[in-house]
Amino acid sequence: MMTSNDIRFSRRTALKSLGCGFGYLAAKALAQREAHAAIANPLLPKQPHVPPRAKRVIFIFMQGGPSHVDTFDYKSRLAKDDGELLEFDDARTLAKTKKITSHRVFKSPWRFRRYGQCGQHVSELFPHIAEHVDDLCFIKGMHTEGVAHGPSTLFLHTGSINLVRPSMGSWMLYGLGSENQNLPGFVSIQPSSGNGGPRNFGNAFLPAIYQGTPVGRAGTPATTARIENLYNDLLSPANQREHFELLRALNAEQLSRRPGDQELEAVINSYELAWRMQQHAPKTLDLSTEPAHIQQMYGIDEKGTDDFGRQCLMARRLAESGVRYIQVTYGDNSNNPRWDQHSNLPMHATHAFNTDKPVAGLLADLKQRGLLEDTLVWWGGEFGRTPYAQANGTGRDHNPDGFSVFLAGGGVKPGFSYGATDEFGHHAIKDKVHMHDLHATIMHLLGLDHERLTFRHAGRDFRLTDVHGQVIDGIFS
Amino acid sequence: MGYARRSICWAQPDQLTVPLPAESAVVRFPCCTLASFSALITICVAAAAEPAEPTAFFEKKIRPVLVQHCYKCHATDAKNVRGGLSLDTRAGIRRGGESGPAVVPNKVDESLLVSALRHESFEMPPDRKLPESVIADFEKWISMGAPDPREGTARVSQSGIDIEAGRKFWCFQPIANHDVPNVDAVAWPASNIDRFILRRLESERLTPAADADRRTLLRRAYFDLIGLPPTQEQINAFLQNESPEAFEQVIDELLRSPHFGERWGRHWLDVVRFAESSGGGRTLMFPEAWRYRDYVIEAFNNDLPYDSFVMQQVAGDLIETSDWQEQRRNLTATAFLLLGPTNYELQDKETLEMDIVDEQLDTMGKAFLGMTIGCARCHDHKFDPIPTHDYYAMAGILKSTQAVIHSNVSKWNEVSLPMSARDEALVEQTEMQVAAIQKDLKSLKAQLSKAGGKIGDGATSIDPESLAGTVVDDTQAEKKGTWTVSQSVGGYVGGNYIHASESTASVTFAPILPIRDKYELRITYTPSGNRSPKVPIRIHHAVGEDVVFVDQTTKGSVSRTIDSLGVYDFDPKQKPRVIISPDGAASGVVIADAVIFIPEGAAPELAVPSEAARKAMQERAALKKKLTSEIKALEEQIKQLQTTGPQREVAMAVTEMEVVGDIPVSIRGLVHNPGPVASRGVLQVALHSEAPNIDGDQSGRKQLAEWIADARNPLTARVMVNRVWYWLYGKGLVPTVDNFGATGGTPSHPELLDYLANTFMEDGWSVKKLIRRLMLARTYQLNSQPNPQASSIDLDNRLLWRMNRRRLDAESIRDSILLVGGNLDLTIGGSNIAAGTSSEYGYDFKSTRRSVYVPVFRNELPQIFATFDFADPNTQIGSRSSSTTAPQALLLMNHPLVMKQAEAAAAQLLSRQDLTTAERIHHAYEQVLGRTPNDREVEIAARFIGDEPQTARWGLLYQTLFQSLDFRYLK
Repeated sequence: MMTSNDIRFSRRTALKSLGCGFGYLAAKALAQREAHAAIANPLLPKQPHVPPRAKRVIFIFMQGGPSHVDTFDYKSRLAKDDGELLEFDDARTLAKTKKITSHRVFKSPWRFRRYGQCGQHVSELFPHIAEHVDDLCFIKGMHTEGVAHGPSTLFLHTGSINLVRPSMGSWMLYGLGSENQNLPGFVSIQPSSGNGGPRNFGNAFLPAIYQGTPVGRAGTPATTARIENLYNDLLSPANQREHFELLRALNAEQLSRRPGDQELEAVINSYELAWRMQQHAPKTLDLSTEPAHIQQMYGIDEKGTDDFGRQCLMARRLAESGVRYIQVTYGDNSNNPRWDQHSNLPMHATHAFNTDKPVAGLLADLKQRGLLEDTLVWWGGEFGRTPYAQANGTGRDHNPDGFSVFLAGGGVKPGFSYGATDEFGHHAIKDKVHMHDLHATIMHLLGLDHERLTFRHAGRDFRLTDVHGQVIDGIFS
Repeated sequence: MGYARRSICWAQPDQLTVPLPAESAVVRFPCCTLASFSALITICVAAAAEPAEPTAFFEKKIRPVLVQHCYKCHATDAKNVRGGLSLDTRAGIRRGGESGPAVVPNKVDESLLVSALRHESFEMPPDRKLPESVIADFEKWISMGAPDPREGTARVSQSGIDIEAGRKFWCFQPIANHDVPNVDAVAWPASNIDRFILRRLESERLTPAADADRRTLLRRAYFDLIGLPPTQEQINAFLQNESPEAFEQVIDELLRSPHFGERWGRHWLDVVRFAESSGGGRTLMFPEAWRYRDYVIEAFNNDLPYDSFVMQQVAGDLIETSDWQEQRRNLTATAFLLLGPTNYELQDKETLEMDIVDEQLDTMGKAFLGMTIGCARCHDHKFDPIPTHDYYAMAGILKSTQAVIHSNVSKWNEVSLPMSARDEALVEQTEMQVAAIQKDLKSLKAQLSKAGGKIGDGATSIDPESLAGTVVDDTQAEKKGTWTVSQSVGGYVGGNYIHASESTASVTFAPILPIRDKYELRITYTPSGNRSPKVPIRIHHAVGEDVVFVDQTTKGSVSRTIDSLGVYDFDPKQKPRVIISPDGAASGVVIADAVIFIPEGAAPELAVPSEAARKAMQERAALKKKLTSEIKALEEQIKQLQTTGPQREVAMAVTEMEVVGDIPVSIRGLVHNPGPVASRGVLQVALHSEAPNIDGDQSGRKQLAEWIADARNPLTARVMVNRVWYWLYGKGLVPTVDNFGATGGTPSHPELLDYLANTFMEDGWSVKKLIRRLMLARTYQLNSQPNPQASSIDLDNRLLWRMNRRRLDAESIRDSILLVGGNLDLTIGGSNIAAGTSSEYGYDFKSTRRSVYVPVFRNELPQIFATFDFADPNTQIGSRSSSTTAPQALLLMNHPLVMKQAEAAAAQLLSRQDLTTAERIHHAYEQVLGRTPNDREVEIAARFIGDEPQTARWGLLYQTLFQSLDFRYLK
């Protein structure tokens, strides 16, 4: 097996590839310089494959599977046939028994109405987001893999339901580098430790430098969320600096016995980067400097919305600072995460309330700062929910065969809707977009060709989309 | 729903030996996928003969469509015949492709062609669906009997793989006896290994580096053999030992140390993706996995011959022995097959079984054989001579092995471990006694239940035994965060209730329910004014999760302290539970006491007793009291019996299936798409004698293990000696230690590899002797100083002109820091997961035992492991990566573990009053880095320390040494 994280690989490849065209020494010198740069900082911005339409991503993860037929995918047929027992090829039943069974059609308890110039339907669950529909690009023919949370959540983040694969943010960072060398390039705010946990922001076989950096974790208050090991509560800033100077001096002494050793210099550089992160990241994550009216936009200090509002505001501050890939998670650590209303659909109202204003605030704030132009916002869950009641009860089961997400900003058509589910909202039927396709599309918007962004591991080239994925150019502005 | 998509492969042949032009695009070989018509398995169809009498309908309606829309990919002369399906002959269309017949005359529903056109099975043509009228024509044509005038036979070529040609690849060649080469510098070599190495160096005009200094060498040997640095005493003893055998003595001493097995066992645990949880989405704990870990450590300490080590792990349960201790070891070893990252939640159980088999094969292939067998699950291996048939031949063996027990969330197989005959008899006797008592107990409990499960209001305490239904008291619940025990307000169940107010606290009540049923759910709490008026109770029932809010300031609906929350469907299989937490509660104290599950209809309502009933109640109470104390006595008896004397223990282990047999090839890896049956066997290309004979009633696992562990297997010994080489030198002779195939690397010293493999086997597969031999080679003892001239010829040091500098691994970093801090707990063996742990999430890794005993959870690793490239337990990893990242720097700068141990070391250092500052600096350098500081270093450190001996300051100096380059790298 390759030692996949061997950062010297690039040097070797460069050396081999250059060996043919130049004189050996010139090639070696060049290779060494390049390798030196790569070792010194593999996170420097890299040239994209195609002209990018966006520079960064904010992924708003709605964990547990929000119901599309109760939010953005309006289906009049549900009201019409409410209570009828009809046959559906339910994904879970099919996986377990290979049978098609009858289920009770279950109309949405929430009213829909049209909003904006585009006339997009939004239910009363999201009155604030509804005000922004003319900035949003809905994808309503989504479908994905897996029936349970674990597999589908991993698939959403890594493109595989079970195998260990790098997460999307890691691929992005690997492909594009970071615009800010004082902050991590891939940040996951309050990630869930359930349903795959760290694998959802992990680097798998990509070099470790591309792993996501968690800020806090789900289930703890956003006010306490911070990057681990970034703070030293035992030392005063002056002592920290003095201590760091000691490290510099002792390491310089050790390095002097091996002058020009790039691997050791890389270690020294990693301390310098860590030191800079220590100076900058806490300020970036400190929301207290934001004026009251901005905090209000996000619903901070308001009941219900305070926590997620803080996460969204942190996301904006990170985006503003040039972080490449930012994920915020509305979730928890259980096996039945927040939006997972199998038996109590009305609970959706709580989750919608908690996230509606923060998300709308984020959209408005990005827009007013001009950040929406080169930031791609992605809102969605790991799957949708069934248009019929689960077990004839008062909730909905998972539905990987049809659901909605929305994108906004960097390079997508505003006030647009792409694709459709059937008349019940069960299966995607028109302009279907598989999760692999969405991955390919988002990568394309950032300037990456999902077929070219590969990494050699265990004897073959891997990519986020495996051998799948089609770029959906129909949504490009 | 969508078709299962399988993963696959973009592969390219090994680049390492092929220089690519600067601008050359990476050449990719797309390697397969399922469920699309793109597999590359070539199926040739003979050219069509002259058409016979044509049928009008076919010619008019069918043939033009086939020609226009299908032939491009599905005809004999197509560039790539997709999915093995050619539609241009009658034979071809009826025989069909890899997924079965495309057309079955008169049977529209069985004709795949029709469902593909409808976009129901496949989606054909892929770009767009043909008009309904066209599809109707095809249906009509099939109903007519599919008259088809097109002659020609469909000929199928089985496999593109030539096994005999494949054997010519270096790793499948028999292990040869090579002469030890002659060298020019005859005085240099210390062993035959050195002669092989030097011969290559001389031919490249390279000279070996100088020998490492003795301190460096000693440090290297200590970390390599036991994963810990030498103490100052050990350093001094070695420096003062002037015997030429001094280093040999150190090696022998370290090989005898019990810590040797801990270090080398951990190497092996990487190779077999050892973990103590299943990982994936819903990760389950493996509470018995530690037995396998201890087995491995013991195997290395006892120098178990490697061939036996292989045998035991693959087929230990099938090795006949009358020694019960050996039986235990053999059974425990088979956990090797069960420790994989398995998604037990998968609903499609057939696929789950094949996923487990696949994972087993993949791990076994890489671990023992250096082969990526897993690639052949969906198609013939693209680069190595492994046909799909071979994969399913071995898969059949594992499919005949019991690995999993199914339920909604399935579970791995477990086996009771044998005991000595005496203990066995004792346990059996105890079990009989317990069974007898339990019978009495059952009857008493029935009587008690009959006597009612209600205790009057206002009682100080309610006896849980007196309540109907299943009662989970707070003492039985799993608590997280801070809960305070209290008895201040009466009416609670059991001995007390608990309360909390921080939102991080939660308590989970998980009942053991007899059957799936509707249950009335009750909770008890002691109401009072300071309680929270709105406490969320999270109820996980069979159909999902509900949250109910309870006002704990006022009395309950059933009685003062009992509240009914309604009726829910609970299924024991789905882990019903009720969670109470201040998280989301209105302000006030949150009480948790007991949760009661009463089967619907069985709940007698509690009423305030009338005067008339009071007497009856008292009688009943007396009866209950009597019954309760009797029950208690019996339960105490059982507890006594069960906790004294020998216990029956279980281990993760496999057994043979009751029904064994061959399985069909799954076309494109889809278990629901069976092809021809593959008779059980092994890799044909590495067959060293007759194919093993597998009897009808055996799984064949024993034969599989024997084939791997055979001295004639060209892979097994080579792969292991290369691993040992890698563990000692930092790079393998074959750089890809898990992949000896065509996509892996080739050996830098093929003759040496064979020489080592042969001597390894001649030594009775002794790993310790192999290690000893490798370390006594002069090559191992070289320094790691750079040399620009040598680098210009051999940048990567593949020819070993010096020792490789290696980064200290996560365990060595952690263990050394704890050792220097004086807090490393050197206890050996046993389970080390904190008692009462039911989930890995949020696990507090506070153990200070050696790293090998820190629980390895697939979704939750200690930070220091995750940060310093510990082997990802989700996958088989023979060689760890070695990264340099800012999080590593941050961890060493700010993590409490590092700071606390540094300060502990400082406190010890300062407790020695007799030392000067300079002496103390010397001491710290030797402790952490194994060397003395130079003057400049002493000066810098002394300036930082200043005049006052402050522990904090010295702590920071220690910490700086932990951060320094010379600590992080082994020279």
